[in-house]
Parts: sequence; C-alpha cells; structure tokens
Amino acid sequence: METPGAAPVWRFLITPRWLGWHLLMVVSFWGMLWLGDWQLHRALTGNGLSWAYTFEWPLFAGFAVVFWAKTIRDEFRIKRGGGQVLAEAGAAAAADLPDGFGTRQVEEPADDAGDEELTRYNAYLARLNAEVNSTHGKRHGSK
Amino acid sequence: MHAAVLRYRVMAYITGVVLMVLCFVGIPLQIAGHPAVANDVGVVHGILYIIYIIVAYALARRLRLTIGPTVLLLLAGTIPVLTFVVERWMTRRYINPALGAAEPAAQPVSR
Repeated sequence: METPGAAPVWRFLITPRWLGWHLLMVVSFWGMLWLGDWQLHRALTGNGLSWAYTFEWPLFAGFAVVFWAKTIRDEFRIKRGGGQVLAEAGAAAAADLPDGFGTRQVEEPADDAGDEELTRYNAYLARLNAEVNSTHGKRHGSK
Repeated sequence: MHAAVLRYRVMAYITGVVLMVLCFVGIPLQIAGHPAVANDVGVVHGILYIIYIIVAYALARRLRLTIGPTVLLLLAGTIPVLTFVVERWMTRRYINPALGAAEPAAQPVSR
C-alpha cells in the first residue's frame, strides 16, 4: 500500500542503481542494432551466413526492451504490494502477469495418477526438498 | 513453477551442449580450414539461444530474481561451460529454495 506522504513509487526508477540499468539497456539496445546493421552489410557483400545474424541482432535488441519494460512493471507490482508479499501472494501475482512468453503455468490435467514421469519428478522434488531443508534451511528457508 | 524450471533446464542443457560443440569442435575445425561445422552449429546455437533467452527470462520472473542474476542467467547461454555452472548455481541458490517454499513438507506435487 502507498503510504500518504511517502515518496511516489516510481522514484525507484531514478535511483543510481536503476539509472545504471537504464543506461545499460540503452547502450545494449543501440549496440545490438549496430551489430545487426554491421551483419547486414556483411550479408550484402556476399557473406551468406550473416543473414541469420542480420535478423537475430535486432530480435535481441527487441528482447532487451521487452525484458526491461516487464522488469520495471514487475518492480512496480512488488513495490505497490508493500514488499511483504512473498510465498502465496507472490505466486498469485506471478500467475496473474499477463504476458506472451509462456510464463503462465499450463492448466494441469486432473488425472495424473498413472503418470510415471510425474511420479519420478515428485520423488526427485522430495529429495531436493529434503536436501534444501537439511543444508539451506537456515539461510533460505524463511523466504 | 515446475514447468518453468523444466523448460529452463532442458534449454540450458541443449544450448550448453551445442555451444560446447561449437567452441571445442567447430572453432578448431574452422581454424584448421573447415568452416562448415562452425557455420552450421553457429546458426543452430543462434536459434536455440533465442528460445533459451525466452525460457530463462520466464524462469527469472517466476523466481523474482533481481536484475543482476537475471542478466547473468541470460548471458550464460553464450559462454561455453558457464551455462552448466549457472544452471547448478541457479538450482542451489534459487530454484530449490523456491520449490521448498512452494512445497513445505515434501508433499508430492499435485497437478
């Protein structure tokens, strides 16, 4: 919740740390476009392999912008949520994020009793969980 | 969460293996005058890395990673061997605790 009188939520965007990230984003965006342009010139001079990279670099540049925007939006959600949202609320918020990159948990089939893969995966998870609780429980368990 | 972790692991291992082939087989052959392997494997890695980036970023959001680890995770797909190192580090440092928090008492996952 926003406390009246407190600094607006967006202020985190102009902290030195975030300004550094913005700068990195801008530099990497233009850098990747420049690399794509360079590959285009190589492709036009007969280097056939460069065609693949001609399209790949602008794609990565696009990724940089999309990830940057999504990260900022997530940060707003976290900050507006008050910071105390962790296990349950956090998972719910993550599931609510409308996005096109398949982060949403797929709807699970109801009948999985005979799913051998799932059984093995469950055993694996149980083992991992036991390991975590025994070795990392003190450090990470509270999260 | 489990689906995201699984997707990430699959892509990390595939991308990592292809990258090792590229760097430790393709590049030496290219230097020796046979560029065909490096060219083909290079393009394959390029395509796989696009998928890796999407899957890895999806996992990073699920785990609510801060930007530093997220960037490292994304770049891990471009540096040989580091892909595997980062996968292990992610598992120990972030994935296991997250799964542990989601499944408190080693309960079987119900789906």
